[in-house]
Order: sequence, then C-alpha cells, then structure tokens
Amino acid sequence: MTCEEAKNRMTDYWSLTLGAAEREDFTAHLASCEACRSDVSRIGALWQGLDLLPLEEPSGQVRERFYEMLGAYRQGLASAEARPVRRWWTMPAWQMAAAAVLLAAGLGIGYGARGNGQPPAEISQLREEVASMRQLVALSLMQQQSASERLKGVSWSYQVEPSDTEVLNALVTTVRHDPNVNVRLAAVDALRPFTGSPVTHLTARNAVVQALPKETSPIVQVALIDFLAELKERNAAPELRRLVSDPDIDVGVRNRAEWALERMQ
Amino acid sequence: MIKRMVVGIGLAALAAAQLGAQEGRQQITMPFRDPSMPRKLIVEGGTGSLTIRAYDGQDAIIEYTGREIPGANVRGNRGGRNEPPAGMHRIGGSRGLDITEESNTVKVNSQGIFGGTARDMVIQVPAQTSVNVKTMFGGSMTLENISGDIEAENFNGQVTINNASGSVVAHSMNGKILVSLSKVPPDKSMSFSTFNGDVDVTLPADTKARFKMRTDFGEIYTDFDVKMEANAAPVVEEQKDKNGKSRRRVRVDGTETGTINGGGPEMQFTTFNGRILIHKK
Repeated sequence: MTCEEAKNRMTDYWSLTLGAAEREDFTAHLASCEACRSDVSRIGALWQGLDLLPLEEPSGQVRERFYEMLGAYRQGLASAEARPVRRWWTMPAWQMAAAAVLLAAGLGIGYGARGNGQPPAEISQLREEVASMRQLVALSLMQQQSASERLKGVSWSYQVEPSDTEVLNALVTTVRHDPNVNVRLAAVDALRPFTGSPVTHLTARNAVVQALPKETSPIVQVALIDFLAELKERNAAPELRRLVSDPDIDVGVRNRAEWALERMQ
Repeated sequence: MIKRMVVGIGLAALAAAQLGAQEGRQQITMPFRDPSMPRKLIVEGGTGSLTIRAYDGQDAIIEYTGREIPGANVRGNRGGRNEPPAGMHRIGGSRGLDITEESNTVKVNSQGIFGGTARDMVIQVPAQTSVNVKTMFGGSMTLENISGDIEAENFNGQVTINNASGSVVAHSMNGKILVSLSKVPPDKSMSFSTFNGDVDVTLPADTKARFKMRTDFGEIYTDFDVKMEANAAPVVEEQKDKNGKSRRRVRVDGTETGTINGGGPEMQFTTFNGRILIHKK
C-alpha cells in the first residue's frame, strides 16, 4: 500500500469500517511508514476528541426561522407561477434570489435537523451510527490490558443510551472480574445511569446485589453498599447482615452495612 | 533458537545471581529481548519494601537482600530436570523467586520467597516501561522516574510514585497514596484510591483534567482553581420515625466533580477515611 492509498483509508480506519484484509494492509503500511504512523496517531487523537464534543442543541428559534424561510420560499414560488408573462426563472434577479433562498434553506436544514423535533431519517441514522460507534469504543476499551484504558472505557459508557444492554453487560463483567480495584470502583458508579432505564434496571440492580459477596476490597464494598442503600434493594439484606456479623470484615465496611440495613427499613 | 536464547539468559541470570550472592545481595539481570517493542514489568507478591526506578539501560535489573539465597533454586534447572514451558524458563523453585521474560514482558513473582521475613527489593528498568505491581503483604512501594503507564496496588503500605510521566492507576488499602506527576499525558484516565489513608497528588500547573473526588470521612484540599460542577440533584426521601411521623431527608451524592484548565480526561480520587490533597506544581 502506498502512502496515498493509506491516507485515503484513514477515515475508514478510525470509524472502524475497514475490511479485515484492508485493515491488515493498512496496519502493515503503518508499521513500515513513520510519516503515516504519526499522521494516524496525531489526527486520530483529534478524531476521537471530536466525538467527545457535546452535541450542539440549537435554540427553538433556529427551527422557527427555518420554517419561516421555507414558507417564504414556497410563497415566492407560488406567486412566480401565477405570473404567466415571462419565464421568471430566466430573470437574473430571480435566479439570484432563488439561489440565496436555497442556500438559506440548506443552512436552515442543517441547523433545523439538529433541533429537538423529529429529525429526518438520514440524521437519525447518523445518530445511530454515532451511538454504535460509542458503544464500540466503550466495549473495546473495556477489553484492554491497561487499567487506564479500561477506566477510559468505563467513562465512555456514560455516553451510551442507558438502554444499551451490551455496554451494561460489559460493565457488569468489569464490576465482577476486573483485576484492578480502581477500575471496579469506577464501573460500580457507571452502573448508576442504567438503574434508571426500564430496559436495563433489573440487570443493573441484580449486578450490584451479586457483586457484593464476591468483592474483597473494602473501598469497592462500601461503594456497592451505598448503591444498594440508595436502591433500597431488599434482596441484598442477607448479604449485608452477613457482612455485619463477619469479624474478618473491615469495621468501616461493617458499620456501613449496618447503616444500609437501617436505611432499607 | 528461542530455547537456546532462554538457556543463555538462564545461565546469565544464574551467573549474575551467584556473583551478587558473594556480596550478600542478590542481583539478577533480565533483558527485554526486543528493544523495538513496548516494555512491560509485572511484579507480584513480596513481603518487604519494593522500589522500582528508571535507569539508563536496556535490561531489568532485580536486586534483593536476604540471608538465604532465594535464587539458589535457579540450580533446579541444571541437568535438564523440569523442562520449562515453551518460550519460558524457570529460575526459581516453588518457594523461590520466579523471573520470566515473554513477549518483552518481564514478570517477577516473589510470593513466598522470603518465608515471612521482610526483605527489600529494588528493580531497575528503562524509563519507558509500563509497570504493573501488586503486593498483598508488602511494606512501602516506591516507583521513581517511570514514564510508562503505572498500575500499582498495595495492601498495608504506602504507595509513593515520584516524577511519573505516564498514566497512574494506584490503590492501597491501608496506606497513603503519594503521587507526583511531572507530565500528564493528554488522553489517559487516572485513578488514585485508598481505604484508610490520604490521597496526595501533585500535578503540573497546566494539567487539563476533570476531577471526580470522593471521601467519606475526610476533607478535600487543593490549590488548583477548580471549577466545580453542580452535584447530582439531591434526593429527597420520605422517612417515618419511631412515632410513625413522616419526616423528610435530603441527601446529596458524595462524589464531587470539577475541572481544571478547561477540563480533560478523568482523574478519580477516592478515600474512605482519609483526606484528598491535590497540589499544583
């Protein structure tokens, strides 16, 4: 693969749409080409950064203005058709006006499409694509060897819809099995948004209940106990009582479990 | 060919161990075989204090003090007994010190090595090495001048990380977390946590980050200009007291968030019984 070809494939690479063979060619080229490698890492960081930008929510006025303009354009069209004398579109003034209106309408569509109303099909498809990209990023980061990367994956999970069961399942696995205390701690917190969704709240609640008996680190135990108290999760009561009466458990954790039991009454 | 290399390294390690033994201090040198690949050091176990520091060289140099020669089990390799698994070699017995190198990862496993007596270990690696260290019964743990990513977990002792310039993910159950970063990578998540100690972190003044901070029984101090974000909406609960009268209770989630220098990757600071101190360098 030449540098030129590699450059053409960079966007596909970042959006993870390269085929397996192309991807292999591409990475092989990167391995051999310093310039392209630096391009990929430099612009790739920017690419990722773009996705972290908050979604721009235009004001209601933008939408109104767009429909006003569209109305004006239609009116103009209707009145033009009503005049049979000359072919209106051959007159330069009309051509310019139409061009201006079209431009304005185009801009308006651009803004209006991002508004609060029902978005056009392409836009919602784009949104779905962005959502699935976020899901992919969160899922793949949570699989990484480095704890820092897995933490980043956990942060990304806040950007998916709370009904996203795949990301929830990855978080549940992280809470239960991640070897790093700090990653488990962050993942417990990240379960919180999922307890608010009708689709996922049961899975999320159960995950917290089931994680507590397996957890050995006091700091994560306390995070789980707080969460259970907040959810008033009665199913956790037996485990909480066991913790309270286990002399091997840290006294801070035992007190917190006792407090949680009182809260659930 | 690989096998021959392994045997070669084994012999080198053996020779180095014996050489070191004469000075009452054991030293083993384990090369990272591929200098062009990322290096990684994994340390597990150990009952004494542990220091890992960067030096101007290409190998991992493992030094430890001890009355016996834990490395003596290296001789177990003699005569071809206990063939090592493919691509690996053993330089310690079941109660000894295991040091392996595979795919540019040097693994030091010293569980059970010291028979309950605390011994100190110093490991030197090139600065650009990722370090993953975890001890269950260790004393203090110190990492110096490492520019790779650091994961450090201790049980009873303090975790000290000086002059780091990669990402740091550190935890101690009973000890303090004391970290100073000379440079903060722009896109790495970090996390510092302890159950019973202080979390004390020093960052460069121009660090861009989003802090998530939580302490249950301590305070949070900083000399950074932190732009605090609004807390999660307080939760209002209806409760009934003993006499059946209902009363209201407002609870605010304990995690506080804020940004410095416009915000950036997430840094999490968590302690249960200690304070959180975030210094500006």
